[in-house]
Parts: sequence; C-alpha cells; structure tokens
Amino acid sequence: MSFLELTNVTKQFGRLSAIEDINLSVNQGEVLGIVGPNGSGKSTLINVMTSYYRPTSGSIYFKGRKISGLRPDKIAALGIARTFQSNILFEGATVLESVMVSAYLQYKTNNLQSFLRTKAYRDEYEKIVGKVLDLLKMLELFNDTFLPASGLSHGYQRMLGIAIALASGPKVLLLDEPTTGMNHEEAMFVVENIRKINETGVTVILIEHNMKVLLDLATRVAVLNFGIKIAEGKPKEVMNKREVIEAYLGTETI
Amino acid sequence: MMIKYIDWKVTIPRIVAAVPIAILVFIPVFSTSRDTLSIIILSGVWVIAAMGFAMILRTGQFSMGQAAFMAIGGYASAILTVKMGWSFWPSFFMAGVISGIIALIIGSVVLRVGNIYFSIITLSFGEIVRILAQNLEGITHGARGLIPPSPEPIVLGSFEINFDASVVPYYYFMILLVAITSLVFWQINRSRLGGTFFSLAANQILAEHQGIYLMKYRVIAFTVAGIFTGFAGAFYAHFLEIITPYMLGLWESIQIMIMSIVGGVSSLVAGPLVGAVLLKVLSVYLSRLPVYGIHALLFGGAVVLVLVFLPKGTGLIDLWKKFWRKVFNEPEWYEIPSIDE
Ligand SMILES: Nc1ncnc2c1ncn2[C@@H]1O[C@H](COP(=O)(O)OP(=O)(O)OP(=O)(O)O)[C@@H](O)[C@H]1O
Ligand SMILES: [Mg+2]
Repeated sequence: MSFLELTNVTKQFGRLSAIEDINLSVNQGEVLGIVGPNGSGKSTLINVMTSYYRPTSGSIYFKGRKISGLRPDKIAALGIARTFQSNILFEGATVLESVMVSAYLQYKTNNLQSFLRTKAYRDEYEKIVGKVLDLLKMLELFNDTFLPASGLSHGYQRMLGIAIALASGPKVLLLDEPTTGMNHEEAMFVVENIRKINETGVTVILIEHNMKVLLDLATRVAVLNFGIKIAEGKPKEVMNKREVIEAYLGTETI
Repeated sequence: MMIKYIDWKVTIPRIVAAVPIAILVFIPVFSTSRDTLSIIILSGVWVIAAMGFAMILRTGQFSMGQAAFMAIGGYASAILTVKMGWSFWPSFFMAGVISGIIALIIGSVVLRVGNIYFSIITLSFGEIVRILAQNLEGITHGARGLIPPSPEPIVLGSFEINFDASVVPYYYFMILLVAITSLVFWQINRSRLGGTFFSLAANQILAEHQGIYLMKYRVIAFTVAGIFTGFAGAFYAHFLEIITPYMLGLWESIQIMIMSIVGGVSSLVAGPLVGAVLLKVLSVYLSRLPVYGIHALLFGGAVVLVLVFLPKGTGLIDLWKKFWRKVFNEPEWYEIPSIDE
C-alpha cells in the first residue's frame, strides 16, 4: 500500500456526487497536482481527506492506517495539514498569534506544565517561537508579525494560510488553490516556497487552476471532471489527453 | 548593568486599575458597616461565577446553568456540615471538588452538543438540580432548605479570626477567593491553554484542523468553571447561612451570563469582574427604589445597551482599552494589554 491512498471514495451531497468512486495513490515526497473545471470535486477531495466531511463510502489510508472517519484533529496529529480555498483566519488574531496557536501539535509538554510554566515548557515555547518566526520570514510575513491578520492583503492572507498549515509541522500538505487571486509575481513566490517545503520532505497535494504553476511544480497530476477521475499521470502527457482537453473546453482555456 | 525598559502604555493603565483594587482591600479599615461590606462580598460571589461563564464561552458554549453549580457547591458544603457534621474548611474544599466532578461528568456528555442545544440542556440541568434539591427531603430538607453554619474561628496564636463577630473576616475571605480565582484564570489565559481556548473561539474549524481536540478543551473549561463556581456557591450558602432550592435558579444563571457579557468576555478576568461588581452594586441600590421589577429591568437594560451600542463581542472592559488607545494616540490595532495580562 502506498503512502497515502484513497480507495473507492465517494462523497454525496443529497443526490449529487461531488466525488465518485475515486481511487488515488499518493507517493511519499511527491507533488501531486489535482486539476479539473469548477465544481469538479477538487475541494471536496481535500475535505474528505481531512475529515472536514466524512466520505459517503470508501476508505482513506495513511501509512497503512485507515484515517477516514477519524476526527479532523486526529488527522492533523498524524501529520496531514491543509489550507482552505477561501481565506479562513482566526478572528481578531495578529499574524503571530495565528501561527503560534497553530503550532499546537509541536508541543511535547502538556497543559499542566504550561500552566505551571515549568522550565521544560518555557524552553519549548522559546524554541517554537523561533520556528514560527522562521516560518514567517520564509513566507515574507515577518514585517506583518504584529498586525491583525484580517488587515493583510488577499495575497498575504493566502500566505498566512500556508504558514498556519505548516506550523503544525506536517508530513503531508494539502493546498487548495494557494495562488488564487494573486498576481504573477506573488504566484511565483508561492511556487518557490512550495518547492522549498517539498524539498524538506513534505509530500504536497496541490489543487491549482494556474497551469503554469502546476506544470512547474507537479511531479504527477490527477484530473477530475464531474467528480470522476478522468486521467492521471505526468503533467505534460495528461494535459494533452483528449478527454482532459474536452473537459476543459468551454470552461477554461489551457 | 541591566536597564529595565518600562512601557508606559502598559504600566499607566495598570497603575490606574490598581487604585480601585487597593481601595477595595482597605475598605474595612474605614468602614465596617455590615451593609456596605455585604454588597462587596456578594459581588465577589458573582464575579467568580461570571468568570466561569466567560471561560466556557471561550470554547464556544453558552451555558445557561451556571447557577446550578453554585447550588451544587452550596448544597454540598451545607450537607457536609449540617448532616455529616464536618467542619467548615474541609466541607468548603469538597464543595469545589464535588461541583468540579459533576461538571466533568455532565460536561463529557453534553458538551458534544453545540450551540443552542447546549444552552437548552444546561438550562434543563439547572432545573433538575432545583427539583432534586426540593425533593430529596432527607438530605436537603426540601423547600425549607439547609442552614449551614459560619466557618469555625481561625486561631493564630493569641489572635482569633471570628466569623460570627463581624463580616470583616468574610470580606477578606472573599477577596482571597476572588484573588485566587483571578490568578488561576489569568494564568490559564496566558498559558498555552489560553491560546487554545482563544483559537477555538476565533475559528473552531480552523483550530480543529490544526490538531486541537475541541471536546477536550470544552471539558477542561467547563470543569474549571465548575470547580470555582462551586466554591462561590459554598461561600454564598455559608455567608447567607441558608441554602434553598429557590435561591439559585434560571434567573440567577441569566444574571451570571449578563454580568459577563456586559463586562466583556474578551478578557477572562477583568471583564466579568467589572460586569458582576457593577451590576450587583447597582441592583442592590436600585432595589431600594419602589419600582416593581427594577432588578430585571436593570439587567435587561444593561445587556441591551451593551449589545446595541458596543461592537459585536465587546463589553465595558473593551471601552477601557479603547480609552487608553485614545490617550496614547495609538492606531486601532494596537492592543493595549488588558488588565488580565
Ligand atoms: N457543502 C456542500 N453542500 C452541497 N453541495 C456541495 C457542498 N460542497 C460542495 N458541493 C458541490 O459539490 C461539487 C464539487 O464541489 P467542489 O467545491 O469540490 O468543487 P471544486 O472542484 O473545488 O470547484 P472550484 O474549482 O470552484 O473550487 C459542486 O457541485 C458543489 O456545488
Ligand atoms: Mg474548490
């Protein structure tokens, strides 16, 4: 069994199958691109993988362990982190606070130690502050450390979303259209960072509309259409398949 | 040589806030009037209950049954002293423990239910506690209630603290109880627990996807609130020297809720403290007016004013922060650390 595996996964909303009978294997260390027209079920795929929704049927395995049906926090604790398609923030928090509370899983000390401020806790806290600041530097959020997150521009809010997901120290990172609404320069900055993150050994699953980004980054691509996986393989080859071009005609231009 | 940098923007508001606290501590030196001191003592009881409510609210739950935990604490201590013949101090301690254990058990079951349903369940829980108190004649004396004794005198060498002689010992007991509760809540707030509670309030779904187990933190908040609310209830019963099924019902739970909301739940300590003291003191003085229902009018009016005229989710304590922002001419986003910090 591969690193992360979906077998016959279906998610229905009422009578509509947002994704249907999806089989998908993800290899450790790769960047898997997910593409498809609007409403084809890409976000739903990430949502069932992180238990935002329970799949209607089918199973998901991570390192051989069944994770479908687990609570979202359990899945995060196993090392699967995600971003959201819209800018979802901690209301009223600054950039630093947002990322600090998101580093929850990095602590080994328990709540009692933190309440009593033992030396072990304070040392660990300092270490995590350091890591968080490094993360903010990497994603160019450092200048905004003490600003309220809601005041950031759209592009930087997207960046903060990635920082929040990374703060948990994941082994797998699921990115739902990280570059939407960004200009070319910002998008390329994100691409650079996704590459860097991937080079540290993090497996990445990337939903992306921007073909340039996708072809730059993805080692493999899966294509969805009306909730069904219609193709999978090397990015260049897949994008030239007839079904894929047809799926996109009228909705997107490649 | 180390030069300690003093941030006046933090220090000045703190000094100003410390003045009323210092005055409170020294009031008995100037006046030992039973009336005056009783008002402050009773305010303290509600301060603690309101802090508990605010902490539960942090985890996204709106408890409508906090007065029931006061009743549990009050009855626990009353039963232990009156029926079992225990002395006051261990009974008082056990009141917090029992209330905490009941909160833990009830919380583990009903905190799974969210939003309005949780409010309805806690509201019913309050009623169940009242009905039990009324019907378990054998241990609660039913509608007549129990008459718990005042604490035994504390003898320190030749010096004796006698709770029967005046209310001053109660006064300092209450100040100590509020101080300890505030300290614990304040420490929780600035520890990782506080951050976790905050993240759940700020965005529950995002927090869960970062690995935070919602139920665990809801149960912790509910239990900690239960423990301290139980202490407050035990104090209340012994101070008033009575506990009946009718003293701590739905209206009292609503008062606790209104006190925290009016004071402001953005801080776990200062907001509920301001709200409870203000409303309790006002209600005592206003109830001397010959107007029917003035009590309900005050609480209702205060909460309406706060909800209508202050921005969403803020209370009087946020006006304090806003005031200092104006004084120091800071931009809106500069957070003056609240008195809590
Ligand atoms: N909570 C929901 N309730 C009902 N229908 C839903 C829900 N979430 C998604 N859907 C439907 O499921 C289908 C797939 O949606 P999904 O968001 O996964 O698409 P997507 O590929 O991410 O699209 P986009 O490119 O617009 O983000 C759509 O038809 C959508 O309307
Ligand atoms: Mg989507």
